[in-house]
Amino acid sequence: MGIIRDKKAFWVFLLPALLFYIFAVFYPIGESIRLSFMQWNGIGDKVFVGLNNYSAMFQDRVFYQALINNLIYLLIVVAMQLSIGLFFAILLTFMKKGVMFVKTLYYVPCIVTTVAITQLFRSIYATEPQGLLNLFLQSIHLNQWTTSWLADIRTVLIAVSIPEGWRFTGLYMVIFYSALVSLDPSVYEAAKVDGATELQVLFKIKIPLIKEILLLTLTMCLTGALRGFDIPFLLTGGGPGNASELMSTYMYKKAFSSNQYGYGSALAVFIIIESMIVVIILRKVFTSREESGKRNLTKGRVKMWKSQRRGA
Amino acid sequence: MKKLVNMICIVILLGVSLSGCASNAQGEKGDNSGADKVTKVTWFTSRPVDGSIDQTMKEIAKMYSEEKGGKWEIELETTADRPSYLQKLKTFIAGGNMPDIIDIDADPYCKELVDANMLIDVKQFLEEEGKYDSFYPTALKYQAFTDGTMYTLPLEYHVEMTWYNKEIFDQYGLKAPATMDEWLNICKVLKENGVTPISVDGVDRWPVQRYLAMIPFRKTGNDFIINLRDGNEAMSSETGIAAAKFLQEIGGYFNDGFAATDYATAQSMFLDGKSAMYYIGDWEIASMQEAYDAGKIDYFYLPMMEGAKTGVNEFCVNSGIGMAFNAKTFDEKTKDFVLYLIDHYGSVYAGKQQMSPLKTELPENIEFSDLYLRIQNDMNHTGENFLKPWDTYLDADSNTIMQDNMLLLASGDMSVEDFCKLVDDAIRANSTK
Repeated sequence: MGIIRDKKAFWVFLLPALLFYIFAVFYPIGESIRLSFMQWNGIGDKVFVGLNNYSAMFQDRVFYQALINNLIYLLIVVAMQLSIGLFFAILLTFMKKGVMFVKTLYYVPCIVTTVAITQLFRSIYATEPQGLLNLFLQSIHLNQWTTSWLADIRTVLIAVSIPEGWRFTGLYMVIFYSALVSLDPSVYEAAKVDGATELQVLFKIKIPLIKEILLLTLTMCLTGALRGFDIPFLLTGGGPGNASELMSTYMYKKAFSSNQYGYGSALAVFIIIESMIVVIILRKVFTSREESGKRNLTKGRVKMWKSQRRGA
Repeated sequence: MKKLVNMICIVILLGVSLSGCASNAQGEKGDNSGADKVTKVTWFTSRPVDGSIDQTMKEIAKMYSEEKGGKWEIELETTADRPSYLQKLKTFIAGGNMPDIIDIDADPYCKELVDANMLIDVKQFLEEEGKYDSFYPTALKYQAFTDGTMYTLPLEYHVEMTWYNKEIFDQYGLKAPATMDEWLNICKVLKENGVTPISVDGVDRWPVQRYLAMIPFRKTGNDFIINLRDGNEAMSSETGIAAAKFLQEIGGYFNDGFAATDYATAQSMFLDGKSAMYYIGDWEIASMQEAYDAGKIDYFYLPMMEGAKTGVNEFCVNSGIGMAFNAKTFDEKTKDFVLYLIDHYGSVYAGKQQMSPLKTELPENIEFSDLYLRIQNDMNHTGENFLKPWDTYLDADSNTIMQDNMLLLASGDMSVEDFCKLVDDAIRANSTK
C-alpha cells in the first residue's frame, strides 16, 4: 500500500500512457500547427510561408461553403441524435418488458462499420435500381419528390447528414435511458401525488434533473459532428461540386488529393480551434446558468434569513 | 532518494526495451537485403485485384523466382481504388518510405518526383537495354512527358469507345454517329422517347472528364490542354467554352443522378438495356463479350466534327497507369527482373485476352474472340495523335477543382462561364505556387 501513497510513484505508472498520449495526440497537433505555416507538396523541402496559408484560407470560397455546410450538418446531426435519442429513451422508461432487447437493437448501428452504413444508405438513396426512399415516396404517390438524393445539390447535404445522425441515436438513447432510470422515483411520484401530469413530470422534473447528462452528450455530439468525415466522404466525397463539402473532407482533399499539406494543415488547425470554441461557448452557457441559479438560490436564502431575523 | 533511483532505473529499462524492439525490426529488414538471403522487392500497385495484370505479374514473378532458386520474391501491395492508392502512395513518399516499384501516371506529381531524382529514367533504361522497340510506339508515347522524357513503364494498352445498344438504336431507326452533331441528335431522339441515352460513372470523375476533353481534342489534339496547363490558353477561350458547352449539353442526356452513380452501376445499366450508350475502354471486353456475340451491342469511336484537326482513327488511346522504379533501390537484381518481365509479359498478358503494350505474337493455343481481334485490328490502325486524359496534364489541385465542378456543369447546376472562370482561376493560382 505504501507505494500508492507515494506521489512520485504515480508518475512511473502514468508515464507510459502519458508518453503515448503525447506522441499520439499532442505531437500530431504540434506538427499540424508547424506545417500550417509551411508550403509543402510532400516531396522535397518545406518552405516557411508565414501566415500565407491562413490568409489564403480566409479568401477561399470553398472554405466558407464548407464552414456553412458544416454548421448545417452539425445542426441536423445534433438535433437527430439528441432529440430522437431522448424521445426513445423516454418511451423506453414506460416499457415494462423487453427493454434490454430494444436497447440492444437500437444500439446496433453504433457497432456496424462505417463502410457498411454507407453502402446501406447509398442503396436507400439510389435511383438505379430505385432505392427504399424513392420507392416509399412512389408508394404514397409523391412521385414528384423522388430524386437522386446524393446527386441533387438541394438534397445532398441533408442526405449525408442523416446517416451520421441515425447511427448514434442508439448510443444517446442508452445514455439518456440510464440517466432517467437512475433518478430517485420519490421525487416525481410526489409530484404525481400533487396532480402533475406525465408531461409535466417529464419536462418540469425529469429533464431538468438530467441537465448534467444533457451537457455531456451535447458536448460529445457537437465535437463529434464538427469532426464528421467518414460517412459524407464515403457517400459523396464532398460532391457534387462542393455541395456536401465539410471542413474535414475539404481538409483531407487539400492535403491528400491536391498535395497541399500546408494548406490542409491550416484547415486542420482551424477545425481544432473551431471545436474548442464551441466547447468553451457551451461550457460558458451552462456554467453561467448554473452560477446564476446558485446566485438566485443564495439571494433567496439571504432574503429568508433576513426576514427570519426581522421576525425574531 | 532511493525511490528516485528506482524510478530512474525503471525509465531506463523501459527505454532499453523499446530501443530493443527497434533494433530487432531493423535487423530483420537488413537480413532481407543480405546477399545470401531472399531478395524482396515491393511493388505498390493500383490494378484490379486478381485482374489480368495482377495474375500476369504473379505468374512471371513465380517463373523468375523459380529460375533464381527461390532467392527472389516480389511482394504486391494492391490498392485498386485509385484515389485511396494515390493518397497512400503520397503519404509513403512524404514520409520518406517510397516503395521499390510504384504505379504512377506521367502527371505533374510524377514530374515532381523526377525533379527530386527519385525515379529511374525508363526511356534511357529501355534504350540502353535495346528494349525500346519491343513496345508499341503509342504505348510509350502515352507514358512520356510533354518534353519527351519517360519515367514509367506501360503494362497495358487500351482504346476507349462508346458502346451502344443495337436493339434500342434499331427501334428508333438510329445508327452509330459519324459526327458530334449526329451524336447529340441521337441522344435527343432517345430522350424524347423516354430512353436514358447514356449511363455515366460520375463517382470516379474521369469518365465525365473525357466528355469535356472531346471537343478540344478534335479541334487541337492535345495542344489545348497542354497550353491550358502552361497558362498559354484559357478555359474561357473559344475552344474551352465549346468544350464546356458540349459537356453541359451531353450531360443533359446522362442518367439521372449520374454524379452518384458508380462504375458497376453505370455499366450494368447499359448491359441491362436501361441506357442506350456507355463509354468505356477495351479493358471491359470480357463484360461486353456475351452481348456482342448475341448481336445486341456494338461500339463506335469518338465522332468527328467540322474543322477537326485530328482524324477518324484518332481518339483516346492509352497505356494505363505506368510502373515506375525507385532510384534509390533500383539495383542490378531489380534491373534483371524488369528485363525478364519485358521478355515474358507480352505473351502471358495477351494470353489472357488482353491488349499488350509489348509487340507479341498471339499465343496459338488460345482462341481469341472476334471482338478481341477486331479491336486489336483497330489499335493497329490508330493515328499518330491520341486523346491523353486531362488528369495526367493538370496539377492535382486544379484537376480536383475541375473534376468537382464539371459534375455541376454537366448536371446544369453551374453555368459555362462560372465553370470556365473557376478552372482558369485555379490553374492561375496553382501555377504561381
